[in-house]
Amino acid sequence: MKKLNYVFKNTFINMRRNPLLVIATMLAVLVSSFLVFTTLSARAIVENNTSRWQNGVHVVIFLDDRVTSTAHKQLQDTLESYPEVRMVEYFTKSEASDEFKILFKDQPELLQEVDFDILPTSLRINLNDPADYQLIIERMDGNPAVKEIRASGEAIERLLSLTNTLVLSATIFAGLIAFAAFILIINTLRLTAYAKKKEIKIMRTIGASSTYIRLPFIFEAVFESLIGTSFAVGLGWGFIQYSKTSFIAESIFDIAISDSYLINLTLILLLSTVIFGFFASFVGIRKALND
Amino acid sequence: MIKLDNVSLVFQGGSVALSNVTTNISEGEFVYLIGHSGSGKSSLLKLLYKEYSATKGDIEVVDMDVTSLPKWKIPLLRRKLGIVTQEPQLLEDRTTFENISFALEVLGFEEKEIDVKTSTLIDLVGLNESMYKFPSQLSGGEQTRACIARALASNPLVLLCDEPTGNLDPDLSIQIISLLEKINRAGTTVLMATHDSSIVNRRKKRVLQLKDGKLLSDVDQGRYV
Ligand SMILES: Nc1ncnc2c1ncn2[C@@H]1O[C@H](COP(=O)(O)OP(=O)(O)O)[C@@H](O)[C@H]1O
Ligand SMILES: [Mg+2]
Repeated sequence: MKKLNYVFKNTFINMRRNPLLVIATMLAVLVSSFLVFTTLSARAIVENNTSRWQNGVHVVIFLDDRVTSTAHKQLQDTLESYPEVRMVEYFTKSEASDEFKILFKDQPELLQEVDFDILPTSLRINLNDPADYQLIIERMDGNPAVKEIRASGEAIERLLSLTNTLVLSATIFAGLIAFAAFILIINTLRLTAYAKKKEIKIMRTIGASSTYIRLPFIFEAVFESLIGTSFAVGLGWGFIQYSKTSFIAESIFDIAISDSYLINLTLILLLSTVIFGFFASFVGIRKALND
Repeated sequence: MIKLDNVSLVFQGGSVALSNVTTNISEGEFVYLIGHSGSGKSSLLKLLYKEYSATKGDIEVVDMDVTSLPKWKIPLLRRKLGIVTQEPQLLEDRTTFENISFALEVLGFEEKEIDVKTSTLIDLVGLNESMYKFPSQLSGGEQTRACIARALASNPLVLLCDEPTGNLDPDLSIQIISLLEKINRAGTTVLMATHDSSIVNRRKKRVLQLKDGKLLSDVDQGRYV
């Protein structure tokens, strides 16, 4: 306990030595963690939204009612045999009209005008990978039982690939900034070690263990990183809360993200930060204390 | 307490600091290590606390096999030794008191104990008047005393002093020697390196003489010529 006291005291003494570097490190970690936090949250939100919109259905094949229902059944079997297909649901005329009635229950005039008989029978296809909808369209092309194919996936697929690009580029940036933070930490520790050269030499002569000499350095790196990530996570939560009430939520998107997802993301980020701090300090100390 | 068996130390460039030194120092002894500058005195002391590792031979200090001592155990060895290096190593931004209490802090003593022990050590080396002075305000002799006080923080079994009278005039030198003899009388084994034969001749203690890294003579109670 006595020793921990010394370690903490020295961690802060060391950090006061290079305040600008310490702030730069914290900011770099903050930006890096914020990028990771927000883009991963954004992707989760997009995924939640797209799955809702589609209700799990990726391709709808409207069937020609002039062919026999045996032909419909055959088509369903064929579709089910494709490896890309997870599930095919046979949607009857009456099911279609029920759905229509629910969807447009707010517009009674429309419901009165519609002749439900024109609503076709359909096959609703759930794909393992929504991106594969094009394959299904190609295969079904020219099939006499098929009246029309609609892939509700196109817009959504574009959105998903946009989010993926966003996540990828943000990850790359976050990585670069994290690397900058890494270099900053190494340099801060090196400067500290240089300033405390004599003190460290004396400690060694007295018989201080190398762990004892290192701990303030390790704590400094971990502490700075944790501060950065904590602010980033705080900002990220605030940002999401704000978005829920903003125009985006009202017009385009439902900001649907579960607290448990955010909590897990926060914990994983904090844990990664601790590991990052440890790693950076080990490299920094190796270079600085050369023992 | 200290055993050297056929110890040699050759540096990477090939310069030989010590060659085939064999000697034995028992508990409670006061031993001078004398020799001209460059004869290997500092090197021998550094081997004892594993600042250097012997190229050849076996070293045993306070019942620890220094030769095969793993790195992580070096602190354990050093805690049993009091080390006063050739250059006084005091922290310039701390007072005498703080320089000594720093050692106690590093060694893990309790806060209350630290103040009491520091005062005792300061009293022992006679620095009461200068305890709130910074190193730059201390004379050479006072700096050496502060280093000796700090070296005693761990209650060492052996005190190793590298030219503690190096830059001091004879009067002050004698005061330091008297202090070391007082510490020795309290039971601590003392090994002191010096190039000053006049001091050694007056005190009638055991003298190990080094020349070009070789142990030239080992004379007890006698005069070194
Ligand atoms: N770290 C070192 N690297 C290379 N040579 C050294 C080193 N330390 C000491 N020496 C050499 O070893 C010899 C003994 O030095 P030293 O033990 O310092 O002698 P003394 O303390 O008696 O003056 C000298 O020739 C010196 O140049
Ligand atoms: Mg020397």
